[in-house]
Amino acid sequence: MKASAIKPITLVLARELTTTISLLLGVSVIAFLIILASPGDPFAQLFGGFSGTESERLALYESLGIPTTWYGQYFSWLGNVVQGDLGTSIRSGQPVLGEVASAGVNTLYLTVGALIVTLAIATPIAIYTAIRENSRLTLTYNLFAYMISAIPVFWLGYLGIYLSTHLFGFFPLGLGSSDTGNVAKFLLPIFILGLGSGLISEVVRHMREQVSRVMNEEYIRTARAKGAVVWKHAFKEGFLIPVTEIMAIKMPFIIGGAIIIEQVFNWPGMGRMAWQAAQDRDFPVILGITLAAAVLVRLSSLVHKLVFVSVNPRASHL
Amino acid sequence: MKIQYQQHTKDISQYSELSLIQRSDKTDVAFVAYGLFVLSLVFISYLLGLFGWLPFDPDDMDMDLMMALPGASGHILGTDFLGRDILTRLILGIQAYFLPGLLAIVVALGLGTFMGVLSGYRGGKAEAVITYINNVMDSLPRLVLILLVVAAFKPDIYIIMLVVGLTNAPAVASLVKDKITFLKQKNFLEASVALGLSTRTIIVKHILWYNCRTLLIIQATLGMAEAILIETSLSYLGFGVQEPIPSWGNMIQAGANYMMRGDFWPSTAPALAILFTVLGFHLLGDGLNNILEGKRRK
Amino acid sequence: MSTTPLIKIEDLHTFFYSKAKQAFIRAVDGISMEVPRGKTLGIVGESGSGKSITMMSVLGLINAGPGVIRGKVTYDNGTINKNLLDGLERFVDVHEESGTVMHVEKDLAGWQKHSEELMKDIRGNEISIIFQNPKAAFNPFTVIGDQIAEMVMLHTDIKDPQAAKEKAIYWLERVKMDTPEVRYHNYPGALSGGMAQRAMVAMALASEPSLLIADEPTTGLDATIQAKVLELLAELKEELGITIMIISHDIGVISALSDYVAVMYGGTVLEYGKAEDVLSTKYDNKHPYAKALLASIPSLENIEKSGGRLQAIDGEVLDTIKVVECCKFSARCNRITDAVKDKCHNNQPPLQDIGGGHKIRCWLYQ
Repeated sequence: MKASAIKPITLVLARELTTTISLLLGVSVIAFLIILASPGDPFAQLFGGFSGTESERLALYESLGIPTTWYGQYFSWLGNVVQGDLGTSIRSGQPVLGEVASAGVNTLYLTVGALIVTLAIATPIAIYTAIRENSRLTLTYNLFAYMISAIPVFWLGYLGIYLSTHLFGFFPLGLGSSDTGNVAKFLLPIFILGLGSGLISEVVRHMREQVSRVMNEEYIRTARAKGAVVWKHAFKEGFLIPVTEIMAIKMPFIIGGAIIIEQVFNWPGMGRMAWQAAQDRDFPVILGITLAAAVLVRLSSLVHKLVFVSVNPRASHL
Repeated sequence: MKIQYQQHTKDISQYSELSLIQRSDKTDVAFVAYGLFVLSLVFISYLLGLFGWLPFDPDDMDMDLMMALPGASGHILGTDFLGRDILTRLILGIQAYFLPGLLAIVVALGLGTFMGVLSGYRGGKAEAVITYINNVMDSLPRLVLILLVVAAFKPDIYIIMLVVGLTNAPAVASLVKDKITFLKQKNFLEASVALGLSTRTIIVKHILWYNCRTLLIIQATLGMAEAILIETSLSYLGFGVQEPIPSWGNMIQAGANYMMRGDFWPSTAPALAILFTVLGFHLLGDGLNNILEGKRRK
Repeated sequence: MSTTPLIKIEDLHTFFYSKAKQAFIRAVDGISMEVPRGKTLGIVGESGSGKSITMMSVLGLINAGPGVIRGKVTYDNGTINKNLLDGLERFVDVHEESGTVMHVEKDLAGWQKHSEELMKDIRGNEISIIFQNPKAAFNPFTVIGDQIAEMVMLHTDIKDPQAAKEKAIYWLERVKMDTPEVRYHNYPGALSGGMAQRAMVAMALASEPSLLIADEPTTGLDATIQAKVLELLAELKEELGITIMIISHDIGVISALSDYVAVMYGGTVLEYGKAEDVLSTKYDNKHPYAKALLASIPSLENIEKSGGRLQAIDGEVLDTIKVVECCKFSARCNRITDAVKDKCHNNQPPLQDIGGGHKIRCWLYQ
């Protein structure tokens, strides 16, 4: 049996990269067109602003060789983006790329942490209700998951702040550079987002389906007949893959929740920056953040695919 | 040890004569009942708000009675930090999301079914395009897109809901398309064509009405739940309805500081409203799904 | 040399509760059989006769869900002597009302925990089982060698991973796998059906069990491969002196290996005895069903006897949800005489010993 010359991992990476690029292009087109459709001359804002009448502006553009059609403008902007130039923020005057990147890292901490919290809560519920078919308990847990998912996360955030201030005695708002040692300030927003992002019921459902399905597979029956430790056999297909899968699928929702949580806790991430940009109508920044958010989502998809490939002996079926 | 369970198997024909409700899980029926209750409450409140049949004037500030708990002098749900009646404001808050939510739903379902039928029937390129758009939408967090729109157009809730509807359409299209593919496999469509039914009849009557209505109803419930969450989040962020017009989101935001000082109620009342309403729509969708689609189970 | 059987099943009932029909599906309805040490018992019957479920019940591998397993399964290898179903009834509550089973409540967690405790030193250790679909029975994410080594480390004194690996290779060799050191690192998907079955045999024997249960070990394999697997099992039986229970709907498979045979139908044993008695072509002392089974095998002898045509058995397999107060086979039996007709249609015959341990459940032989 001749082994394939190309390792599955390389194939997967190549495929993911191509998909990501094509999807990012799609995102950029939609985002750019929305901005372009706004009243006024948004394009000017993207390149430094200009005041004057419509015809004067067009004339200047032509004389400078700046494109006047929407697709021309799109490609010119795209060209810059690909070279790493996302423009400068109207508010701060700083290059967008740098600002968004550093804020993005903070958001990454928040979202990944929150996903871990969500999983930590949802997985025991899912496993428990999958294995024990006690209908009363299942109902209670399901209801709990539904209710948690329906609570507005910003209110939950305030509740968290109140409780931590009055019960634990510290005020977790406003992350400053002096706070790097203050673990609690980091943990509360992550915990709240993980709890209140509205995903718990869906994660429970997904995990439970997968766990149930795997538990009924023939190889688990063999494991039981062998007197082996069953969960060791069920782990890869029943936990690892579903977990990374659901994380990848739900990343956009967590990012949305992060935007809100960053408001509540004054967390210096991409979400708060986006809010500010929406207020100021800071187009370069909001476009940059849109792209960054899409990149984050694709990253989590990549992680899932990598895990899938490394666990599966013959991952040609992807 | 002999086991002597004498039994008479239930006559199968009897079994299928049980109504849909009797055949279903009791919990699902309960969920749907609760969901319908919530739906009617929302609708009635919307009408009340529309016609101004409110217990109090929403802007009326009773300075002597701030932060009153439910029950105090006729204020069923108490008053907020400015002495305004909370129940009235909650009722009015429904207006912030009800019609916009309907817009989002109509756009998503309308455009979605159109796209779904197109790609289900014609397949090929249409399908590829819709799948691509679906994937693009999946890569973009909803709220980020909304902030983008806000930045471009200033916060008009109807435009935002329009965008929400547009971005949900591919998902609906995908569901409809799957349904059509499934039906195609069952030769059902071929038979209809062979019987001479016009394409239009086939599509509208047989595909959409008989087979897709469940999934469309469920998408509608989910859509309304999502609309509530989006609108309240937006007005919390300051981009939706502005004070003094009440929205459940901006009510929570306004009451936040008071909550830090221990006065929970002005923020918590709208939060509970969101909780019970969103829960209602979710349970409605879930329960309906199990009851209507679960009939394929024995 | 003790004459107590290694495993003895007494009056086993396994019912599954169907909520939709509010009735029990009587998969196993009163089975008794035993296997003497070192011998092979073959269980033969059509699909749905309850043969596999019997084995699953014995090992406690029935997948959750409301239902009842009652009876006694005694395992006695000299050192261990216990009832494998001891106390499981405590966890199930059946609510009846005027003949209809309204509700069955099973404390699943308790049941499973109790079952695990009972079976802790039995599963894999004393009793190994090989399944019908060998490729699916292996964990698709791990190489087969590691899965065999796991068996070694769990149930023998060898705890060192490297030594276990060597032992696994030893067993692969014993089941006549080519290049065992290479095969060790194969994933189950890479193996053919026959090789996977050999690997499964290796895995089952790696723990050096006293009893091997083979559930349809050759179904789904090519005829030539079938023969090889049977050959392998026969050899191993010789070499290791292991007790075997083999389940199959294929009489050829049963006759190749068995010392004793049990014929099952509708969840009950219709005939039981030494292989030469039950499978004999002298058609005198045979249950009508067993006789019909033997006659329906496409063999030259049968075709001659029946004048050139295959003899199928009329009717369909019994629907195990109906309670019957008659002989389970009576609907399809073609040997009912007027003398026994009443009894056949109204009473279940008992299992009657007609001499030399040969038992038949038929009114014709009472």
